[in-house]
Amino acid sequence: MKRRTFLKGAAAGAGMTALGSDAFAAGQPIDNRKVSTIPFPQKRPLITYSDRPPLLESPRYVFANPITPNDMFFVRWHMPDIPTHIDLNTFRIKVNGLVSKELSISVDDLKNDYEPVEVTAVLQCGGNSRSAFKPTAGGIQWGSGAMGCARWKGVRLRDILDRAGLKKDAEWVGFNGSETAAYYETPNFIRELHLDEIGDHVIVAYEMNGEDLPYLNGYPVRLVLPGIYSDSWVKMLSNLTVTSDYQRLFFMDKAYRIPDNECECQKPGEHVPTKPITKMNVKSLIGYPTNDTKLYHNSYATIRGVAFDHGAGIKAVMLSFDDGKTWHEATLGDDFGRYAYRGFTYDFKPKKYGKQTIMSKAINRAGEEQPFAKDIRWNHGGYKFNGIDVVTVEVV
Amino acid sequence: MKKTLIAMLLGLGTLNLQATLTEDVEVPYVPFEIKMGKHFDVVQANCLTCHSFGYILNQGKQPRSFWKEKVEKMVNAFKAPISKEDQALITDYLAEQYGNGQ
Repeated sequence: MKRRTFLKGAAAGAGMTALGSDAFAAGQPIDNRKVSTIPFPQKRPLITYSDRPPLLESPRYVFANPITPNDMFFVRWHMPDIPTHIDLNTFRIKVNGLVSKELSISVDDLKNDYEPVEVTAVLQCGGNSRSAFKPTAGGIQWGSGAMGCARWKGVRLRDILDRAGLKKDAEWVGFNGSETAAYYETPNFIRELHLDEIGDHVIVAYEMNGEDLPYLNGYPVRLVLPGIYSDSWVKMLSNLTVTSDYQRLFFMDKAYRIPDNECECQKPGEHVPTKPITKMNVKSLIGYPTNDTKLYHNSYATIRGVAFDHGAGIKAVMLSFDDGKTWHEATLGDDFGRYAYRGFTYDFKPKKYGKQTIMSKAINRAGEEQPFAKDIRWNHGGYKFNGIDVVTVEVV
Repeated sequence: MKKTLIAMLLGLGTLNLQATLTEDVEVPYVPFEIKMGKHFDVVQANCLTCHSFGYILNQGKQPRSFWKEKVEKMVNAFKAPISKEDQALITDYLAEQYGNGQ
């Protein structure tokens, strides 16, 4: 109750001081949703927004760990019909278009004929934390759990393209997965990448945290694009088509886009030129304690969380216990690479009874840091929220 | 007790699946509590082909203009064969039940 009042006050205050009455800002994402009682295949019960297509969110406490277990990893599909069975004997990834040699690759081929590589990387939906935006932005009102971090193993996309041999005019690669719509005319969920975007860190993964990919996370193979929002990490990857021109496909040209201006913002109803969301901004989440946790007065509690960005790497995570007036540096955990979660901890001894806010702010090696939620401007799709995280506990 | 047993069975199923995936995966049906109201029958007849009611419930309260655009998006972008009359009725239902008063 108190927290809600505080947040309302913060948002209203920002509007008045910063930009006048037409400021559209953000508060904190919804954080009180319960996990469902119904588990999905290979998953523990998660916050469930839809069963068809499946949309599942990890609860906050998952972010106390720098690697997200497969059975708690969020799920987001776009089409109602995903294959209910994949037969590895017949499953093939087709490579065609502007290539010297068309390929048809089985998962065994990937494992046996290509050099295996690993990358630990964060997978985050561009609409993660959308529920923070006021007024309500369009789309599923995710809390903060449409993200996770896993150790991905697979082969370099470049190695596959090299094997196929790119023709002179090759510029773009389109990626299609095996999910299908209810109607034949519905556009496929195809993503496109320019060849310049395909570095050695981009892989076609067949393993996640040492296991086969969970079915709902794209079994048997998915694209892994470290540092980039998850809309391009095509699941159940079945086709790569190399082209000379950008295809202007629906899911590239209409969906997952933000205003193409300095603040990446707009007023509700205002139409502005847009660009794809692509690179993730710097963000942190507190995994413990969670909202409404009780902490014991004068006794140390270890605050745990994760921080990440688009690949510059995390320089520091700062915590505040006085609503952002003063900040204290947390201890960073093991470094699993620049695309991974960086865990952080801080031993906190609460000195006063009652409600206590805890804020976390990540700063990356490029000097970028998380803004206060009240300073984040609105965009129609509610994308890229990265406000300073806030949890409120009770000291008893 | 019964719940624990079901959870255990599901757990075992998960293990098998992880090892071989030789059997079909079954995505559970989740009953979402959608509001009853005028023209709900039209919503039921047209929307469920492509997505669950969860997709509607979890958009938050939205203005009529938002719901109208969403229905048009289903028709124009996703090619859902919804008649003009039904589009209007669905928009009315959504604005009525899940509107923000604007």
